[in-house]
Amino acid sequence: MRWTAVMLAADLPPGAAAGTTVDGTDLAVWRSASGAVHAWTDRCPHRGMRLSHGFVRGETLACIYHGWRYGTDGACRHIPAHPSLTPPKTIAATDHACREAGGLIWVGGTGEPPVIEHPHPVRSLEVAAPPEAVARAFGAAEGVRVLDLDGRAATLALQPVASAATRIHALCARPDDRLALSRALDARRARAEGDAA
Amino acid sequence: MTPVLHDWVLDAGCYRVRLLASLLGADLDLRSVDVHPGDALRSEAFLLLNPAGTLPVMEVDGSVLTDGPACLTWLAATHDAGWLGDPSPGGRAALQHWLGVSHELAATLGAARPMDMLGASGDPRPLRLAGRGHLRRLDAALARGRWDGRAFLLGDRPTIADVACFPDVALAGDCGMSLDPYPSIRLWMRAVRGLPGFVPMPGIHPLHEASPFPEDARGSGADAARGTAA
Repeated sequence: MRWTAVMLAADLPPGAAAGTTVDGTDLAVWRSASGAVHAWTDRCPHRGMRLSHGFVRGETLACIYHGWRYGTDGACRHIPAHPSLTPPKTIAATDHACREAGGLIWVGGTGEPPVIEHPHPVRSLEVAAPPEAVARAFGAAEGVRVLDLDGRAATLALQPVASAATRIHALCARPDDRLALSRALDARRARAEGDAA
Repeated sequence: MTPVLHDWVLDAGCYRVRLLASLLGADLDLRSVDVHPGDALRSEAFLLLNPAGTLPVMEVDGSVLTDGPACLTWLAATHDAGWLGDPSPGGRAALQHWLGVSHELAATLGAARPMDMLGASGDPRPLRLAGRGHLRRLDAALARGRWDGRAFLLGDRPTIADVACFPDVALAGDCGMSLDPYPSIRLWMRAVRGLPGFVPMPGIHPLHEASPFPEDARGSGADAARGTAA
């Protein structure tokens, strides 16, 4: 299984949760207070609320709806409406493989995530265009692509979101290049979306 | 004299006035307006107050303010001008830029929301598309600020620019716009929600991460090991 980058690691501080989507599968990605990252199916086993709307305290993610709390292994730890109940082991969030490496958060793979040479996060952006149009504008529609954008080296990690949506996570070699690269990415996005329209 | 805010709890424009007042510790005399289902914005009494038939309306010192950023400017200028940002030419220009963007957000995402939530007439799709452009530019601007360690629109402290833009962005989900593609917006909203004096509105919850679990707050020994994040 190949790893998919879902966000820049700098965009998920300790104690934060965020939603993302890989090939149509919605995920809640969160980082506990101790810094470990986790990716779960974005659905509370109780009432189906998105866990990415929940909140992190310490080493638990709590659902925003009824406050059910899940530990880092996905198991339900506490149900506020039944405070003395030890939740059965069958109540658990669905855990996905998740790693932090090379300034990115990766999900769904086996083995080691790809090595990323460029250390400085630029930003993430979504391109609302089918994969062919993304590939024409950015050189690829998935995986990791190192390229030269107007003379500036950048690494793009591409995340297939849906049939007409790809997220691009960009890193670069030199901090001074970030603004120009950010604008170059916007220009290529406009090209890909114009191309698709 | 305490300003009178003609208010509707679900109106993002009223919320930004309530939010700034709370952040400033300023008093407001709230007068609830039955916008839905009462249709009070088209009543004669309301039109005599504001012929445009829009909220927010704030009555201060004998004048009637009918523009959200105007209300924010008045509150900041009378309580803490630091919320107006840096008074340099660049700072003033940046403030006007983002107050203008806040109007655009209200006219796109804000206008689509009642269509999606209340069945108001109109086609939300072009509004969402235009709103997406605003979200993209906002996210890029906030990312650029973060490279320099700035968490807010005008720098490292919050201003009325943040308060003006925050509600329609935070409520984007209510018009079918996911904020998942905008990580810098997510972190900015977290910073706003974490401000001392922050108050929520329906659809915008407080920063639960910042407070302990109830049993931990009570000092219960059995659960003290769970969730100790400050």
